[in-house]
Amino acid sequence: MNIVLIFLITIFSVSLFFYGKSKTKTISIKDNIKLNALPKFYGYYLVLWCSIPALVFLLVWSLFEPVIIKSIIIETAANQGAIFSDKNEANLIYEKIKAIHLGTYFGDIDSILKESALAYAKFINLFTNSKVVLIFGIIIASVIYSLKKIKNNNKARDDVEVILKGLLFVSSLIAILTTLGIIFSLLFESIKFFSVINIFDYLFGTNWSPQRAFVRDASSITAAEFEELKDAFGFIPLIAGTSFIAFIAMLVAVPIGLFSGIYMAEYASIKVRRISKPIIEILAGIPTVVYGFFAALTVGPFFRQVGENLGLTVSSESALAAGLIMGIMIIPYVSSLSDDVINSVPQSLRDGSYAVGATKSETIKQVVIPAALPGIIGSVLLAVSRAIGETMIVVMAAGLAANLTINPLESTTTITTQIVMILVGDQEFDSPKTQSAFALGLTLFIATLILNYIAQRAVKKYREKYD
Amino acid sequence: MSNVKIKSKNLNVYYGDKQALFDVNLDLNEKEVTALIGPSGCGKSTFIRCINRMNDVIDICKVTGNIEMDGININDKDLDVVSLRERVGMVFQKPNPFPKSIYDNISYGPKIHGKGETKSELDQIVENSLKKSALWEEVKDRLDEPGTSLSGGQQQRLCIARAISVNPEVILMDEPCSALDPIATAKIEELIDELKKTYTIVIVTHSMAQAVRVSQKTGFFHLGKLIEVGKTEKIFKNPDNKMTQDYITGRFG
Repeated sequence: MNIVLIFLITIFSVSLFFYGKSKTKTISIKDNIKLNALPKFYGYYLVLWCSIPALVFLLVWSLFEPVIIKSIIIETAANQGAIFSDKNEANLIYEKIKAIHLGTYFGDIDSILKESALAYAKFINLFTNSKVVLIFGIIIASVIYSLKKIKNNNKARDDVEVILKGLLFVSSLIAILTTLGIIFSLLFESIKFFSVINIFDYLFGTNWSPQRAFVRDASSITAAEFEELKDAFGFIPLIAGTSFIAFIAMLVAVPIGLFSGIYMAEYASIKVRRISKPIIEILAGIPTVVYGFFAALTVGPFFRQVGENLGLTVSSESALAAGLIMGIMIIPYVSSLSDDVINSVPQSLRDGSYAVGATKSETIKQVVIPAALPGIIGSVLLAVSRAIGETMIVVMAAGLAANLTINPLESTTTITTQIVMILVGDQEFDSPKTQSAFALGLTLFIATLILNYIAQRAVKKYREKYD
Repeated sequence: MSNVKIKSKNLNVYYGDKQALFDVNLDLNEKEVTALIGPSGCGKSTFIRCINRMNDVIDICKVTGNIEMDGININDKDLDVVSLRERVGMVFQKPNPFPKSIYDNISYGPKIHGKGETKSELDQIVENSLKKSALWEEVKDRLDEPGTSLSGGQQQRLCIARAISVNPEVILMDEPCSALDPIATAKIEELIDELKKTYTIVIVTHSMAQAVRVSQKTGFFHLGKLIEVGKTEKIFKNPDNKMTQDYITGRFG
């Protein structure tokens, strides 16, 4: 039904566009008046007036219709004599009624359900009909209003501007609200988690074994269970593993990325640059899951083999393999960002340095890099925040056991890996184990937020200096 | 009459397919200021950038012909550019101090050439350079502040001090006052007058008045050709060439 309505609204709008355009043209010719805007703006004006109020109404209606119908139906069912003690049971009955209406219910149908299903059908019908009537009413009203306006030769151009500005504003508002929504959902779930697990036990605990938290109701937890849970959610091994792998990745990505950035910006001829830059950027386009299985199936076993030959014990899922591959993944970020900041160091500084007799590498080392340093630091920090947020590679190649280790040959785990491990499969949403994923997510979010903030500040400071 | 310090012979410069200088023959006298004038894009800057081989930085640039400094061709492929630039300093159109402290801006050049091995020698070089560029009194108490914190005129004098710091013989100035206000310009011109006692100076300028004030010799470039060269007084009072006459009286350019 909604699709038909949207289709109709579109057709009306399009035809109104042409109507408005030609109508204003004829008015201006017949009455010999100067239009306040180009004819097409009157067309746009009609289109916007025809579609926006109707679409907004449709959206709002679709949001509230199910809620209203549900409450009405549950009430009817209760009046019919249906018995339910809490919200969940009421929901169950409602779903049954809906299923009967759609013909997909295969259980026993008693008279209560039957009556309610009939009532449901009635209400659905009523609501749909009134929706259609109201939408047409709105379209007619707004079209009459706007037609009257354009007959009076309104300033359609300005009005269209205002409406478009509103649309753009709403779009950015949606983006912002979504972000806020995600933050709050993380926050609320984390608060639930921290009501069971002390935040300090979480932040400073050195043992991570969430599987200990079997399905348990947070409210009915016993003292013994609480003691056991207390040291099951220690964050330290995860942040240690995450930082460790990110550190290995940075050891790979920063020198290679930075040097290739310097080469691209300072030494490469235009021809070399044109070919090699896209190739480096292809690295950034490879899906991380591909890097992941490359790390897990090729690099990990290779290291293990090499280690065995050297008489070392190398776990086949090692921090080294994951970090190395992650570093390779990050090279293009460091490379292309540092290339950009080095390029934006003004040529006049280089000239000044050459003019006193410095060679190219002296100039780069002593003038260009120091001048670009804030930007380079910014790019490295952005790369770090990417490294700690990276998921796929570590899930596949770093291992699952939360070892607190600094041996790169052992397996270790990261925040993101644990979030994945906790949330795959069936979950009890009120178990501390599941909620811990949100706490981890929140912690990760805050960490990357801080890093990004510092990075952006550094980059901005750099920009101010040379623009 | 002073000695000829630099002598260009049949100097041609090409940027890719485009020829920027045509057979320029120009003598620059020792311890004298030579001004180069002419409309934008006429090759004045290209010419002085040949003297310290700054055109090497530009990939597509090709220079043919000879430039002799004290009788040695500096356009020789085998010439050591680093030591050439030690002898020929340059000041640019826009002040371009490094984003370093005032002290480091000056000590940068000497350090590169291994001058001033001890801290006190280096201090001495910095002080002398800043005194010669008439900046010492203004900055002596804040040598560790960034060079970019100075005013435009001070920055340009800092750049002159930086050029002096390696003790060159020749200083090239590419429109050194075009980004400065009249007061700062006057200071720089005063400074040039002082510096010509020690250095051979070549200055590219768009200001006729400036050329008259600071230079002893003037060369007029047009479309990559050296049209006329001679004593500044003569060029501005009684030029031989009609085009020079038109340019200095403001009929074109």
